[in-house]
Amino acid sequence: MFYIHKTTCISPQQTFSAVDIEHLNEPVNNKFQAVEPSYEGIPPGILRRMGKAVRLGVGAAMPLVHHSTQPPDGIIIGTSMGGLEDCIKFLNQVIEYNEGMLTPTNFVQSTSNAIAGQLGLLSKNKGYNITHVHRGFSFENAILDAAMLLKETPGTNYLIGGVDEISSYNYNIEYLGGWYKKEIFSSKDLYTPGSVASIAGEGAAMFLVNDQSTGAEAQLKAIHIFQTEDIATVGNQLRQFLEKNLPAGEKPDLLLSGENGDSRFLKYYTTCETLTGNDITIARFKHMMGEYPTVSSVAVWLACEIIKQNALPQHMLKSKSPDRDFKNILIYNNYKGLQHSMMLVSKAENQ
Amino acid sequence: METAELKKQLKEQIVKFLNLLSVKPEDIKDDEPLFGEGLGLDSIDSIELIVLLSREYGIEIKDPKEGRKILVDVNTMVAYIEKHRTK
Repeated sequence: MFYIHKTTCISPQQTFSAVDIEHLNEPVNNKFQAVEPSYEGIPPGILRRMGKAVRLGVGAAMPLVHHSTQPPDGIIIGTSMGGLEDCIKFLNQVIEYNEGMLTPTNFVQSTSNAIAGQLGLLSKNKGYNITHVHRGFSFENAILDAAMLLKETPGTNYLIGGVDEISSYNYNIEYLGGWYKKEIFSSKDLYTPGSVASIAGEGAAMFLVNDQSTGAEAQLKAIHIFQTEDIATVGNQLRQFLEKNLPAGEKPDLLLSGENGDSRFLKYYTTCETLTGNDITIARFKHMMGEYPTVSSVAVWLACEIIKQNALPQHMLKSKSPDRDFKNILIYNNYKGLQHSMMLVSKAENQ
Repeated sequence: METAELKKQLKEQIVKFLNLLSVKPEDIKDDEPLFGEGLGLDSIDSIELIVLLSREYGIEIKDPKEGRKILVDVNTMVAYIEKHRTK
Protein backbone atom coordinates (compact mmCIF):
# COMPACT_ATOMS: atom_id res chain seq x y z
CA MET A 1 0.00 0.00 0.00
CA PHE A 2 2.56 2.60 1.12
CA TYR A 3 5.75 3.28 3.04
CA ILE A 4 5.87 5.19 6.31
CA HIS A 5 8.82 7.56 6.39
CA LYS A 6 8.42 9.70 9.49
CA THR A 7 6.14 9.43 12.47
CA THR A 8 5.18 11.50 15.51
CA CYS A 9 2.79 10.87 18.33
CA ILE A 10 1.36 12.89 21.21
CA SER A 11 -0.31 10.53 23.63
CA PRO A 12 -0.80 9.93 27.36
CA GLN A 13 2.67 8.35 27.34
CA GLN A 14 6.11 9.79 26.59
CA THR A 15 5.82 9.36 22.83
CA PHE A 16 6.76 12.83 21.61
CA SER A 17 10.42 13.94 21.15
CA ALA A 18 12.27 11.85 23.80
CA VAL A 19 10.33 8.62 23.33
CA ASP A 20 10.14 6.35 26.39
CA ILE A 21 7.38 3.76 26.24
CA GLU A 22 8.97 1.54 28.90
CA HIS A 23 7.80 3.95 31.58
CA LEU A 24 4.05 3.85 32.06
CA ASN A 25 2.01 6.96 32.94
CA GLU A 26 -1.15 6.01 34.85
CA PRO A 27 -4.66 7.23 34.00
CA VAL A 28 -6.22 9.79 36.35
CA ASN A 29 -9.86 9.09 37.22
CA ASN A 30 -10.11 6.61 34.35
CA LYS A 31 -8.91 9.22 31.85
CA PHE A 32 -5.68 8.95 29.93
CA GLN A 33 -5.00 12.62 29.20
CA ALA A 34 -2.36 13.39 26.58
CA VAL A 35 1.03 14.67 27.74
CA GLU A 36 1.11 17.94 25.81
CA PRO A 37 4.47 19.35 24.69
CA SER A 38 5.34 23.07 24.62
CA TYR A 39 4.28 23.29 20.95
CA GLU A 40 7.35 25.12 19.72
CA GLY A 41 6.88 26.26 16.15
CA ILE A 42 3.24 27.23 16.55
CA PRO A 43 2.86 31.03 16.84
CA PRO A 44 1.49 31.89 20.33
CA GLY A 45 -1.30 34.02 18.83
CA ILE A 46 -2.59 30.98 16.95
CA LEU A 47 -1.90 28.47 19.71
CA ARG A 48 -4.05 30.33 22.25
CA ARG A 49 -7.11 29.99 20.03
CA MET A 50 -6.71 26.27 19.48
CA GLY A 51 -8.84 23.72 21.25
CA LYS A 52 -7.16 20.59 22.55
CA ALA A 53 -7.79 18.35 19.52
CA VAL A 54 -6.39 21.01 17.20
CA ARG A 55 -3.37 21.52 19.47
CA LEU A 56 -2.69 17.78 19.60
CA GLY A 57 -3.06 17.31 15.85
CA VAL A 58 -1.18 20.39 14.74
CA GLY A 59 1.47 19.93 17.44
CA ALA A 60 2.12 16.34 16.35
CA ALA A 61 2.13 17.15 12.64
CA MET A 62 4.21 20.33 12.51
CA PRO A 63 7.59 18.62 13.10
CA LEU A 64 6.84 16.32 10.15
CA VAL A 65 5.83 19.22 7.93
CA HIS A 66 8.94 21.21 8.91
CA HIS A 67 11.36 18.33 8.45
CA SER A 68 10.01 16.87 5.24
CA THR A 69 12.28 17.49 2.26
CA GLN A 70 9.31 18.25 0.05
CA PRO A 71 5.88 19.53 1.09
CA PRO A 72 3.20 16.86 1.29
CA ASP A 73 0.85 16.71 -1.70
CA GLY A 74 -2.02 16.26 0.71
CA ILE A 75 -3.02 16.45 4.36
CA ILE A 76 -5.43 13.67 5.33
CA ILE A 77 -6.72 13.55 8.89
CA GLY A 78 -9.04 11.11 10.61
CA THR A 79 -10.96 12.30 13.67
CA SER A 80 -14.25 11.10 15.05
CA MET A 81 -15.13 14.11 17.16
CA GLY A 82 -12.78 16.96 16.25
CA GLY A 83 -12.70 19.68 18.90
CA LEU A 84 -15.93 18.81 20.64
CA GLU A 85 -15.07 20.69 23.84
CA ASP A 86 -14.95 24.02 21.99
CA CYS A 87 -18.06 23.14 20.00
CA ILE A 88 -20.03 22.68 23.22
CA LYS A 89 -18.49 25.89 24.61
CA PHE A 90 -19.84 27.70 21.57
CA LEU A 91 -23.30 26.14 21.86
CA ASN A 92 -23.43 26.95 25.59
CA GLN A 93 -22.72 30.58 24.76
CA VAL A 94 -25.86 30.68 22.63
CA ILE A 95 -27.85 29.90 25.80
CA GLU A 96 -25.66 31.82 28.25
CA TYR A 97 -25.88 35.04 26.27
CA ASN A 98 -29.51 34.60 25.29
CA GLU A 99 -28.83 34.15 21.59
CA GLY A 100 -26.90 37.42 21.55
CA MET A 101 -23.61 38.27 19.88
CA LEU A 102 -21.25 35.31 19.50
CA THR A 103 -17.58 35.12 18.58
CA PRO A 104 -16.54 32.77 15.81
CA THR A 105 -13.35 31.44 17.42
CA ASN A 106 -14.76 28.52 19.39
CA PHE A 107 -16.88 27.41 16.48
CA VAL A 108 -14.16 27.75 13.86
CA GLN A 109 -11.69 25.86 16.05
CA SER A 110 -14.08 23.07 16.92
CA THR A 111 -15.05 21.78 13.50
CA SER A 112 -13.56 18.41 12.66
CA ASN A 113 -11.66 19.81 9.69
CA ALA A 114 -9.99 22.56 11.78
CA ILE A 115 -6.96 20.30 12.36
CA ALA A 116 -6.21 19.67 8.68
CA GLY A 117 -7.22 23.26 7.88
CA GLN A 118 -4.85 24.78 10.43
CA LEU A 119 -2.07 22.51 9.21
CA GLY A 120 -2.65 23.70 5.67
CA LEU A 121 -2.64 27.35 6.75
CA LEU A 122 0.42 27.11 9.01
CA SER A 123 2.50 25.20 6.47
CA LYS A 124 1.10 27.22 3.52
CA ASN A 125 0.14 23.91 1.95
CA LYS A 126 -2.49 24.39 -0.74
CA GLY A 127 -2.68 20.72 -1.68
CA TYR A 128 -5.42 18.17 -1.06
CA ASN A 129 -6.83 18.77 2.42
CA ILE A 130 -9.46 16.50 3.81
CA THR A 131 -10.82 15.10 7.07
CA HIS A 132 -12.46 11.71 7.51
CA VAL A 133 -15.03 11.40 10.28
CA HIS A 134 -16.25 7.82 10.48
CA ARG A 135 -16.21 7.08 14.21
CA GLY A 136 -13.93 4.07 14.77
CA PHE A 137 -12.93 4.02 11.09
CA SER A 138 -11.84 7.66 10.80
CA PHE A 139 -8.10 6.99 10.75
CA GLU A 140 -8.54 3.84 8.66
CA ASN A 141 -10.35 5.89 6.00
CA ALA A 142 -7.50 8.41 6.01
CA ILE A 143 -5.18 5.47 5.25
CA LEU A 144 -7.42 4.22 2.45
CA ASP A 145 -7.61 7.71 0.98
CA ALA A 146 -3.81 8.07 0.92
CA ALA A 147 -3.42 4.57 -0.56
CA MET A 148 -5.87 5.37 -3.37
CA LEU A 149 -4.19 8.70 -4.10
CA LEU A 150 -0.79 7.01 -4.27
CA LYS A 151 -2.17 4.41 -6.66
CA GLU A 152 -3.65 7.17 -8.79
CA THR A 153 -0.57 9.43 -8.70
CA PRO A 154 2.64 7.51 -7.93
CA GLY A 155 5.50 9.53 -6.49
CA THR A 156 3.35 11.79 -4.33
CA ASN A 157 3.67 12.28 -0.55
CA TYR A 158 0.96 12.54 2.08
CA LEU A 159 0.68 13.55 5.68
CA ILE A 160 -1.89 11.31 7.36
CA GLY A 161 -2.97 11.14 10.97
CA GLY A 162 -5.54 10.28 13.59
CA VAL A 163 -6.64 12.69 16.34
CA ASP A 164 -9.24 12.72 19.09
CA GLU A 165 -9.60 14.47 22.44
CA ILE A 166 -11.40 13.69 25.68
CA SER A 167 -14.03 16.40 26.08
CA SER A 168 -16.20 16.61 29.18
CA TYR A 169 -19.22 16.29 26.88
CA ASN A 170 -18.23 13.12 25.06
CA TYR A 171 -16.81 11.58 28.26
CA ASN A 172 -20.09 12.10 30.12
CA ILE A 173 -22.24 10.82 27.26
CA GLU A 174 -20.04 7.77 26.70
CA TYR A 175 -19.89 7.15 30.46
CA LEU A 176 -23.67 7.20 30.71
CA GLY A 177 -23.79 4.92 27.68
CA GLY A 178 -21.73 2.36 29.60
CA TRP A 179 -18.54 2.68 27.53
CA TYR A 180 -16.32 3.83 30.41
CA LYS A 181 -15.73 1.98 33.64
CA LYS A 182 -17.55 3.08 36.79
CA GLU A 183 -14.84 1.92 39.24
CA ILE A 184 -11.38 3.51 39.15
CA PHE A 185 -8.91 1.30 37.30
CA SER A 186 -5.13 1.46 37.05
CA SER A 187 -3.20 0.44 33.93
CA LYS A 188 -2.29 -2.99 35.26
CA ASP A 189 -5.91 -3.73 36.24
CA LEU A 190 -7.44 -2.75 32.90
CA TYR A 191 -7.58 -6.29 31.56
CA THR A 192 -9.15 -7.76 34.73
CA PRO A 193 -11.52 -10.50 33.50
CA GLY A 194 -15.25 -9.98 33.88
CA SER A 195 -15.20 -6.18 33.94
CA VAL A 196 -17.22 -4.23 31.40
CA ALA A 197 -16.37 -0.92 29.68
CA SER A 198 -12.96 0.71 29.22
CA ILE A 199 -11.08 3.88 30.15
CA ALA A 200 -10.94 7.06 28.07
CA GLY A 201 -7.95 8.16 26.05
CA GLU A 202 -6.86 10.84 23.63
CA GLY A 203 -3.96 11.61 21.35
CA ALA A 204 -2.64 12.27 17.88
CA ALA A 205 -0.38 10.18 15.67
CA MET A 206 0.96 11.49 12.37
CA PHE A 207 2.75 9.84 9.47
CA LEU A 208 4.54 10.97 6.33
CA VAL A 209 3.84 8.36 3.69
CA ASN A 210 4.68 7.71 0.04
CA ASP A 211 5.36 4.83 -2.33
CA GLN A 212 9.16 4.93 -2.05
CA SER A 213 10.88 2.28 0.05
CA THR A 214 14.20 4.15 0.34
CA GLY A 215 14.65 5.45 3.88
CA ALA A 216 11.26 4.17 5.03
CA GLU A 217 10.68 3.28 8.70
CA ALA A 218 8.03 0.69 7.87
CA GLN A 219 5.50 -0.36 5.30
CA LEU A 220 1.77 -0.47 5.70
CA LYS A 221 1.09 -3.55 3.61
CA ALA A 222 -2.65 -3.97 3.96
CA ILE A 223 -5.77 -2.76 5.71
CA HIS A 224 -9.25 -4.21 5.96
CA ILE A 225 -12.28 -2.69 7.70
CA PHE A 226 -15.77 -4.07 8.18
CA GLN A 227 -18.77 -3.81 10.48
CA THR A 228 -20.23 -6.82 12.20
CA GLU A 229 -21.21 -8.19 15.58
CA ASP A 230 -20.75 -11.76 14.45
CA ILE A 231 -17.66 -13.54 15.81
CA ALA A 232 -17.55 -16.05 12.95
CA THR A 233 -17.40 -13.20 10.44
CA VAL A 234 -14.47 -11.65 12.30
CA GLY A 235 -12.65 -15.02 12.23
CA ASN A 236 -13.32 -15.54 8.52
CA GLN A 237 -12.29 -12.01 7.60
CA LEU A 238 -9.04 -12.33 9.55
CA ARG A 239 -8.22 -15.69 7.96
CA GLN A 240 -8.78 -14.25 4.47
CA PHE A 241 -6.80 -11.11 5.34
CA LEU A 242 -3.76 -13.11 6.43
CA GLU A 243 -3.99 -15.55 3.49
CA LYS A 244 -4.16 -12.67 1.07
CA ASN A 245 -1.38 -10.57 2.53
CA LEU A 246 1.23 -12.99 3.89
CA PRO A 247 3.14 -15.67 1.98
CA ALA A 248 1.52 -19.11 2.26
CA GLY A 249 2.14 -20.72 5.62
CA GLU A 250 3.58 -17.56 7.18
CA LYS A 251 2.23 -15.93 10.28
CA PRO A 252 2.65 -12.42 11.60
CA ASP A 253 5.42 -12.11 14.20
CA LEU A 254 3.30 -10.03 16.54
CA LEU A 255 -0.38 -9.46 17.13
CA LEU A 256 -0.93 -5.94 18.42
CA SER A 257 -4.32 -6.28 20.00
CA GLY A 258 -6.74 -3.46 20.74
CA GLU A 259 -8.13 -5.37 23.74
CA ASN A 260 -9.59 -2.67 25.96
CA GLY A 261 -10.67 -4.33 29.20
CA ASP A 262 -14.31 -4.55 28.15
CA SER A 263 -15.30 -8.18 28.71
CA ARG A 264 -18.23 -7.79 26.28
CA PHE A 265 -15.81 -7.57 23.35
CA LEU A 266 -13.06 -9.88 24.53
CA LYS A 267 -14.52 -12.61 22.31
CA TYR A 268 -13.36 -10.78 19.15
CA TYR A 269 -9.80 -10.43 20.40
CA THR A 270 -9.74 -14.05 21.61
CA THR A 271 -10.90 -15.18 18.16
CA CYS A 272 -7.95 -13.35 16.59
CA GLU A 273 -5.52 -14.81 19.12
CA THR A 274 -6.83 -18.32 18.45
CA LEU A 275 -6.59 -17.87 14.69
CA THR A 276 -3.06 -16.49 14.70
CA GLY A 277 -1.96 -19.39 16.94
CA ASN A 278 -0.09 -19.62 20.22
CA ASP A 279 3.34 -19.38 18.66
CA ILE A 280 3.25 -15.65 18.01
CA THR A 281 3.79 -12.82 20.47
CA ILE A 282 0.66 -10.95 21.56
CA ALA A 283 0.89 -7.39 22.85
CA ARG A 284 -1.72 -4.87 24.04
CA PHE A 285 -1.64 -1.09 24.15
CA LYS A 286 -4.87 0.32 25.62
CA HIS A 287 -3.45 0.21 29.17
CA MET A 288 -1.14 2.93 27.80
CA MET A 289 -3.47 4.92 25.57
CA GLY A 290 -7.03 4.26 26.73
CA GLU A 291 -9.93 3.82 24.31
CA TYR A 292 -10.99 6.34 21.67
CA PRO A 293 -12.15 6.19 18.06
CA THR A 294 -8.79 6.91 16.39
CA VAL A 295 -6.55 5.02 18.81
CA SER A 296 -5.62 2.68 15.93
CA SER A 297 -3.38 5.51 14.67
CA VAL A 298 -1.32 5.14 17.84
CA ALA A 299 -1.25 1.38 17.26
CA VAL A 300 0.36 2.02 13.86
CA TRP A 301 2.84 4.41 15.52
CA LEU A 302 3.66 1.71 18.11
CA ALA A 303 4.09 -0.89 15.37
CA CYS A 304 6.61 1.39 13.62
CA GLU A 305 8.45 1.89 16.93
CA ILE A 306 8.51 -1.87 17.62
CA ILE A 307 9.88 -2.56 14.13
CA LYS A 308 12.51 0.16 14.60
CA GLN A 309 13.62 -1.14 18.01
CA ASN A 310 12.87 -4.81 17.27
CA ALA A 311 11.65 -4.89 20.87
CA LEU A 312 8.67 -3.89 22.95
CA PRO A 313 8.15 -3.05 26.62
CA GLN A 314 7.40 -5.90 29.03
CA HIS A 315 4.14 -4.24 30.16
CA MET A 316 2.70 -4.55 26.64
CA LEU A 317 3.18 -8.33 26.46
CA LYS A 318 0.20 -10.62 26.87
CA SER A 319 2.14 -13.67 25.75
CA LYS A 320 5.57 -14.10 24.25
CA SER A 321 6.72 -16.59 21.67
CA PRO A 322 10.33 -17.72 21.31
CA ASP A 323 12.67 -15.09 19.90
CA ARG A 324 11.48 -13.82 16.56
CA ASP A 325 12.25 -10.58 14.80
CA PHE A 326 9.29 -8.28 14.48
CA LYS A 327 8.99 -8.11 10.71
CA ASN A 328 5.24 -8.38 10.26
CA ILE A 329 2.90 -6.90 12.82
CA LEU A 330 -0.83 -7.54 12.66
CA ILE A 331 -2.94 -4.85 14.32
CA TYR A 332 -6.48 -5.86 15.19
CA ASN A 333 -8.78 -3.30 16.75
CA ASN A 334 -12.50 -2.94 17.19
CA TYR A 335 -14.53 0.06 18.21
CA LYS A 336 -17.57 -0.57 20.36
CA GLY A 337 -17.74 -4.19 19.22
CA LEU A 338 -18.95 -3.20 15.79
CA GLN A 339 -16.27 -1.49 13.70
CA HIS A 340 -13.37 -3.87 13.10
CA SER A 341 -10.04 -3.02 11.52
CA MET A 342 -7.05 -5.14 10.58
CA MET A 343 -3.75 -3.70 9.45
CA LEU A 344 -0.48 -5.31 8.52
CA VAL A 345 2.58 -3.19 9.27
CA SER A 346 5.85 -4.67 8.03
CA LYS A 347 9.53 -3.92 8.04
CA ALA A 348 10.35 -1.92 4.90
CA GLU A 349 12.12 -3.92 2.21
CA ASN A 350 15.34 -1.93 2.52
CA GLN A 351 15.60 -2.26 6.33
CA MET B 1 -17.06 51.46 40.22
CA GLU B 2 -13.78 53.37 40.56
CA THR B 3 -11.74 53.79 37.36
CA ALA B 4 -8.78 51.85 38.80
CA GLU B 5 -11.04 48.98 39.74
CA LEU B 6 -12.68 49.00 36.29
CA LYS B 7 -9.24 48.89 34.63
CA LYS B 8 -8.26 45.87 36.75
CA GLN B 9 -11.52 44.10 35.87
CA LEU B 10 -11.17 44.88 32.16
CA LYS B 11 -7.62 43.54 32.06
CA GLU B 12 -8.80 40.31 33.67
CA GLN B 13 -11.59 40.06 31.12
CA ILE B 14 -9.21 40.69 28.20
CA VAL B 15 -6.91 37.87 29.37
CA LYS B 16 -9.88 35.54 29.87
CA PHE B 17 -11.79 36.31 26.68
CA LEU B 18 -8.72 36.24 24.45
CA ASN B 19 -7.13 33.28 26.25
CA LEU B 20 -3.80 35.13 26.51
CA LEU B 21 -1.84 32.18 27.84
CA SER B 22 1.40 33.92 28.77
CA VAL B 23 -0.01 37.29 29.88
CA LYS B 24 -1.08 38.19 33.42
CA PRO B 25 -3.68 40.96 33.81
CA GLU B 26 -1.23 43.04 35.84
CA ASP B 27 1.30 42.82 32.97
CA ILE B 28 -0.96 44.89 30.70
CA LYS B 29 -0.09 48.59 30.98
CA ASP B 30 -2.92 51.11 30.82
CA ASP B 31 -1.45 52.88 27.80
CA GLU B 32 0.05 49.84 26.06
CA PRO B 33 -1.32 49.53 22.49
CA LEU B 34 -3.65 46.53 22.24
CA PHE B 35 -2.88 45.90 18.57
CA GLY B 36 0.39 45.76 16.69
CA GLU B 37 3.56 46.17 18.68
CA GLY B 38 1.97 46.33 22.14
CA LEU B 39 -0.11 43.35 23.22
CA GLY B 40 0.05 42.08 19.63
CA LEU B 41 -3.66 41.42 19.15
CA ASP B 42 -5.12 40.89 15.68
CA SER B 43 -8.39 41.36 13.80
CA ILE B 44 -10.05 38.26 15.29
CA ASP B 45 -9.24 39.63 18.75
CA SER B 46 -10.99 42.89 17.85
CA ILE B 47 -14.21 40.90 17.30
CA GLU B 48 -13.69 39.21 20.68
CA LEU B 49 -13.25 42.62 22.34
CA ILE B 50 -16.41 43.98 20.72
CA VAL B 51 -18.29 40.93 22.01
CA LEU B 52 -16.71 41.47 25.46
CA LEU B 53 -18.02 45.05 25.56
CA SER B 54 -21.46 43.88 24.50
CA ARG B 55 -21.73 41.00 26.97
CA GLU B 56 -20.13 42.57 30.02
CA TYR B 57 -21.08 46.23 29.68
CA GLY B 58 -24.06 46.30 27.32
CA ILE B 59 -22.17 48.42 24.77
CA GLU B 60 -22.91 47.87 21.07
CA ILE B 61 -20.25 49.08 18.63
CA LYS B 62 -21.71 49.07 15.16
CA ASP B 63 -19.40 51.49 13.34
CA PRO B 64 -15.91 50.03 12.67
CA LYS B 65 -14.45 53.57 12.60
CA GLU B 66 -15.77 54.10 16.12
CA GLY B 67 -14.22 50.78 17.19
CA ARG B 68 -10.78 51.86 16.02
CA LYS B 69 -10.87 54.84 18.39
CA ILE B 70 -12.12 52.78 21.34
CA LEU B 71 -9.93 49.69 21.08
CA VAL B 72 -6.61 51.53 21.31
CA ASP B 73 -5.53 50.68 24.85
CA VAL B 74 -7.02 50.00 28.28
CA ASN B 75 -7.34 53.73 28.99
CA THR B 76 -9.48 54.39 25.88
CA MET B 77 -11.64 51.32 26.49
CA VAL B 78 -12.26 52.25 30.13
CA ALA B 79 -13.11 55.86 29.22
CA TYR B 80 -15.68 54.60 26.70
CA ILE B 81 -17.11 52.02 29.09
CA GLU B 82 -17.56 54.62 31.87
CA LYS B 83 -19.46 56.88 29.47
CA HIS B 84 -21.62 54.34 27.61
CA ARG B 85 -22.12 51.28 29.78
CA THR B 86 -25.71 50.10 30.21
CA LYS B 87 -24.93 47.40 32.77
